[in-house]
Amino acid sequence: MAGGYAGKFLRVNLAEGSWSDFTVGDDILRRFIGGSCLAAKLFLDRYPIDADPLSPENPLMIMTGPMVGSGFPGTSRFSVCAKSPQTGIWAESACGGTFGPDLKRAGYDGIVIEGRSHGPVTLTVDDSGVRLSDASTLWGRDIYEVTDELKARDKSAKVLVIGPAGENLARIAAIGNDKGHFSGRAGLGAVMGSKNLKAVVVRGTSAKAARADDEGFKLAMKAAMQEIKDSALAEGLHMMGSDANMDLGMVTGDVPVKNWTSGGEFDLAASLSGPTMREKYLTKAHACTNCPIACKRVVKVDDGPFATAEGPGPEYETCAVFGTMMMNPDLTAVIKANELCNRYGMDTISCGSAVALAMELYEKGEITEDRLGGLDLSWGNMDAVLELVRRMAYREGFGDILADGAVHAARRLGGDAMDAVVHVKGLEAPMHDPRGFHGMGLAYMMSNRGACHLQHFVLATEQGMASWPQLFDMKDDYEGTTSEGKAALVYNSENYGILANSLSICHYVAYSIRPETLRDAFNAITGFGFDFADILSTGMRDWTLKRGFNNLLGITSKDDILPKRAMTALEEGGAAGSVPDTALLLKEYYALRALDERGFPKAEMLDRLGLDELKSRLYQ
Amino acid sequence: MPIKAMTQEWMDAYKAAIQADPEYKGIAKDWEGSVSLVVNPEPARNVPDPIYLFMDYWHGDVGDFVVCDKAKADSAKFVMTGDYARWKQVAYKELDATKALLQGKLKMRGDLPYVVRNIKTVNKVIDILGRVDTLWPDDNK
Ligand code: SF4
Repeated sequence: MAGGYAGKFLRVNLAEGSWSDFTVGDDILRRFIGGSCLAAKLFLDRYPIDADPLSPENPLMIMTGPMVGSGFPGTSRFSVCAKSPQTGIWAESACGGTFGPDLKRAGYDGIVIEGRSHGPVTLTVDDSGVRLSDASTLWGRDIYEVTDELKARDKSAKVLVIGPAGENLARIAAIGNDKGHFSGRAGLGAVMGSKNLKAVVVRGTSAKAARADDEGFKLAMKAAMQEIKDSALAEGLHMMGSDANMDLGMVTGDVPVKNWTSGGEFDLAASLSGPTMREKYLTKAHACTNCPIACKRVVKVDDGPFATAEGPGPEYETCAVFGTMMMNPDLTAVIKANELCNRYGMDTISCGSAVALAMELYEKGEITEDRLGGLDLSWGNMDAVLELVRRMAYREGFGDILADGAVHAARRLGGDAMDAVVHVKGLEAPMHDPRGFHGMGLAYMMSNRGACHLQHFVLATEQGMASWPQLFDMKDDYEGTTSEGKAALVYNSENYGILANSLSICHYVAYSIRPETLRDAFNAITGFGFDFADILSTGMRDWTLKRGFNNLLGITSKDDILPKRAMTALEEGGAAGSVPDTALLLKEYYALRALDERGFPKAEMLDRLGLDELKSRLYQ
Repeated sequence: MPIKAMTQEWMDAYKAAIQADPEYKGIAKDWEGSVSLVVNPEPARNVPDPIYLFMDYWHGDVGDFVVCDKAKADSAKFVMTGDYARWKQVAYKELDATKALLQGKLKMRGDLPYVVRNIKTVNKVIDILGRVDTLWPDDNK
């Protein structure tokens, strides 16, 4: 048995009310490691990929990796995976917090949930075993209330909960862990809701995964702690959270403004930035289990129309989507919007993007106040925005149209609405403008869950947070608004970054430590003895496997595009006048990934990566 | 005629370039406080000893711009330290100063959120630095 693994997975069938353990062989673990990579492998091997994402046949997979629970910084994470109800393709969403290590200590590397319960249930996994219990009294209540109630029953429990949005099958619904951490993207909360599963509670104390090399692990751990201590990035994240990006990103052209139509709004950025949050509303920094960085914000707004009790604060993405994207300079309104999304269980990026779309259409007169149920959705009118967010969670009135995200909404609204949505493969882009960073544009086009900044390390490498010439041929400083040389950067940053999602380690920690340190810790735990070439080829295998998954669902080269709005140059800001050269980016990238003109992995690449079963399905 | 880098004459020229910049005053209107640059020695590049530079910035104006000793450099509100070659890369805009900081190629002591909030000022003074006609210690001019 490879080190780091609990050695078994839990399979729960909610329709039958039954459960059993299963194991995965060392050869599979070595090739797919864990997290979302192993989930994709298990999904393809065991489940029908053509099932409706909200049907009982779509499995919900909650996966850790071999480093989770080891105590190494940033290894509290887990990935939730399924077929996405928002995009219809592969979905994965990694989450920090507290859940992963406890699941491991309860003796499991992951949970695969099948079927649909007849009524609302809570799944509990602890040292004494597995239980399903009636959750009727929890159904209909928000994530904060339910989390508090479950923790009142057992204060050491770690919980995953959906809110009203997940219950109402909003295709942008998220899953919350202990209030402040979310598997947000691609609608996995709706998958959980479709199963009538309100909560998963874990409490583990006894199981301990073996380590291959204790001494090696101690050395790697010591190195990691020192590197984090010396890292200005880690210091900045601790002091300002991820919203440190707001001021910097407005200068470089990273931050989208007014639904991706403007830039260079420096005063707007300053009012929403990490330093401002720190100065005015931060009560403390908070950390996921075993993380010395503590980038999470705890905030409080004492008075004013958006007064908010002390609780989890917004990330950069939320500050941008409910701030600059809506021309809203009021950080207290962003904090309130964040709290509402957390309580209702909605992904802030998708929710805010759908609202920003509605604001633009309202300005153009394409939707009226009447249709909005009396809401004046002028730019920056946050009272109306907050009410609309509530209506989305409960699918009331116009909220029902937006509840499935901007792409579904644009389809329903018709006309030119889709031209105002920045998405790839149905997932709204996160708050990093591909016109400011062309590599990010390519990463959006090729990410296997749709436009995404977390399936890879492109954010770090292209924006210069990290430089790893020892890992692959890369420069210390890339100009954002050029497409030359970016395909190789993206390809390698994906191959390395995928390791984070299979190990379930936080990207920020991985950015702050040397690749050698991460490699050594990984090897000390698992005993796999990987060198950098092994790490990069594991990433290649994972990317190709998920690409094949999507190809089987109909994804082709036609879907590898940036939408019209992202290809329209801005007149002001750091990205002014710039659009990615998508033809160049795709040509070079396709060659590196050995994709054919349809966008399918070529047979020789599948052979090289040992993906025989995928090959037979793609080329049958 | 290029001026020898990191000399008092060079500091005077840098100060004059900042004062002459039409945009600087507006961009730096909120900046308060001194910055010192510590240049680590690199004998192989003709920098045998550490060099300390002190610059005083205040609400769009500039005060003392001097080559100084370690004690004076340490007294600045912000102290940035790096190898000579890194500073030269920054001056030539081959390496963005913020990226150098994040990658650990430059170190900073001081209020990081303040710098982030005033990133436009930081970028502006670096931009102006690149305009000073400079003879670097390892240049063969
Ligand atoms: S850096 Fe932030 S998100 Fe990552 S593990 Fe630490 S506290 Fe969690």
